Amino acid sequence: MSEPHRIPINAKFGDDFVMHVVVVNSADTMAEVAQKVAHHSVGKRVRPQPRDLAVYYEGRAVDAQTTVSEAGIRPLQHVFVDYA
Amino acid sequence: MPLMKREEWHDLVREVDWTLSYVDDDAVFPAWQSGTGKVPREAWSAWEESYKISYPEYVSVQREKEASAFAVKAALQRSNVFDNLDEGWKSCAKVHFGAVSLAEYTAFIAEARMARFGLAGAWRNMAVLGALDEIRHCQLSLYFAHEFVPKDPQYDWALKAFHTNQWAIVAARALFDAMMVGGNVVDTAIQLPLVFETGFTNLQFVGLASDALASGDINFANMISSVQTDEARHAQQGGPTLELLMKHDPMRAQWAVDKMFWLSARVFAVLTGPAMDYYTPLDHRKQSYKEFMQEWIISQFIRTLQDYGLKKPWYWDEFIEGLDIWHHSLHLGVWFWRSTVWWKPQAGVSKAERQWLAAKYPKWEEIYGPIWDQIIANINNGNMQATRPETMPWLCNTCHLPQCTHISSPDGKYLVRDFALTHDNYTYHFCSKVCRQIWWEDRDMLHVKTLSERLVTGDIQPPDFAGLLKYMALTPDVMGDDAYNYKWAEDYR
Repeated sequence: MSEPHRIPINAKFGDDFVMHVVVVNSADTMAEVAQKVAHHSVGKRVRPQPRDLAVYYEGRAVDAQTTVSEAGIRPLQHVFVDYA
Repeated sequence: MPLMKREEWHDLVREVDWTLSYVDDDAVFPAWQSGTGKVPREAWSAWEESYKISYPEYVSVQREKEASAFAVKAALQRSNVFDNLDEGWKSCAKVHFGAVSLAEYTAFIAEARMARFGLAGAWRNMAVLGALDEIRHCQLSLYFAHEFVPKDPQYDWALKAFHTNQWAIVAARALFDAMMVGGNVVDTAIQLPLVFETGFTNLQFVGLASDALASGDINFANMISSVQTDEARHAQQGGPTLELLMKHDPMRAQWAVDKMFWLSARVFAVLTGPAMDYYTPLDHRKQSYKEFMQEWIISQFIRTLQDYGLKKPWYWDEFIEGLDIWHHSLHLGVWFWRSTVWWKPQAGVSKAERQWLAAKYPKWEEIYGPIWDQIIANINNGNMQATRPETMPWLCNTCHLPQCTHISSPDGKYLVRDFALTHDNYTYHFCSKVCRQIWWEDRDMLHVKTLSERLVTGDIQPPDFAGLLKYMALTPDVMGDDAYNYKWAEDYR
């Protein structure tokens, strides 16, 4: 198993209007990825809501405890996060 | 001795050409510069411009224009007009100066190349005058901006911008280099005088001039109107070139037109769209950006297609839909990332302005209302940190603009989607299917890394927002901020 390392992804949150550059770690869980992506949108341009977040990769929701490595998310890939 | 009438000698001097015999024709006019392609060499002798002008006439007319432009400038220099101009309006001028001044110089290079490698004597003659025009435009733009540098360092970007890697300038250079200097002169003639100068420059130099006059910026209005009179003349190089290309290689003509129209529209959406729909004071807006586009670009473009037998571009419906979207998204992005530009973006979303936007763009409130409402709430709660970015947007590999284009889906919702393409084990991202299609066709020529790629591959150090600002050469005295110091948000308290 390789050392945890930084992975830049192309990410969007919900109804926000733009994709961001977000750097996650290969050992991050999807819950952590969701927070990192949401940070740039929620409360800035997207109204905060008291709801769980979900991560979607290659069109499918990924379990919150799955890590970036386990999900197979590679550098420069697109990840979508939204309220569940 | 009486002088001969112009008609008696002009054809002799405007079509200087001969069959080379001491050197090979293709040594003087190599194919990769002259770009004749499927057009037979001898066909170029039919090239003819509609409006003919001799050099003495050119000098006389230009002298009058210069005298007039500089007289107005000198008169206004002694007034306090500048000090009383709206801060949002001033940003229109700053955007123009930064994005246009050295684009004019790039256009000079394009004209000089056409003057050297154009395969018709008459074309080379027109291009010499075009080259002189573009030197004039570059000099006028720099000189007019220079007066204001002591008052406001953002005007210094009239000269500095093209020497930086500021993100909007990277997008502008990607467009202008491809349009003006990247290819052979036949492609250049279709891309620059035809597609760009018979349509888009009208929007910037005539449409914006009317807003400038309404805003009281007589100096700027006068300068850009004067520039546009030259444009009308040298833009006519496109027509005769297209005519020949349509006879011998219509597919090539169609591609050059389609590609350059889309890419020009993308850059205009970030530079001119916000200026017309947000920065120009509400009472001074003559028309919306969409209305200006319909009048100056679309009608003209459709006529050109019909006149020359071209088809509508394959993406036409998507472009038309984009008139309600692109520049609003890009304006939002420019405002939110305002520290990354060399002007002061005017948010343009007071209640009265939003009413105007909603009237001109029925989808505006649905798509952008909630986003601006959150920003306004943050401003009024004193949470300014939340109105500032901590990362950068992902930029399109073709147009170098943020991926922020809402596209309609079958359920009626407007969503921003990622258009990715993996090629040779590398994933590229695009703002739209069209940018992706253009990239795919031209992929052998498109190698400039976007700023987001430069950030993630280590070219920008440190790899954070401060490093990005430094990389883009934005100093604290130039970094943009809200033009009205957020006073407009009080409307919502």
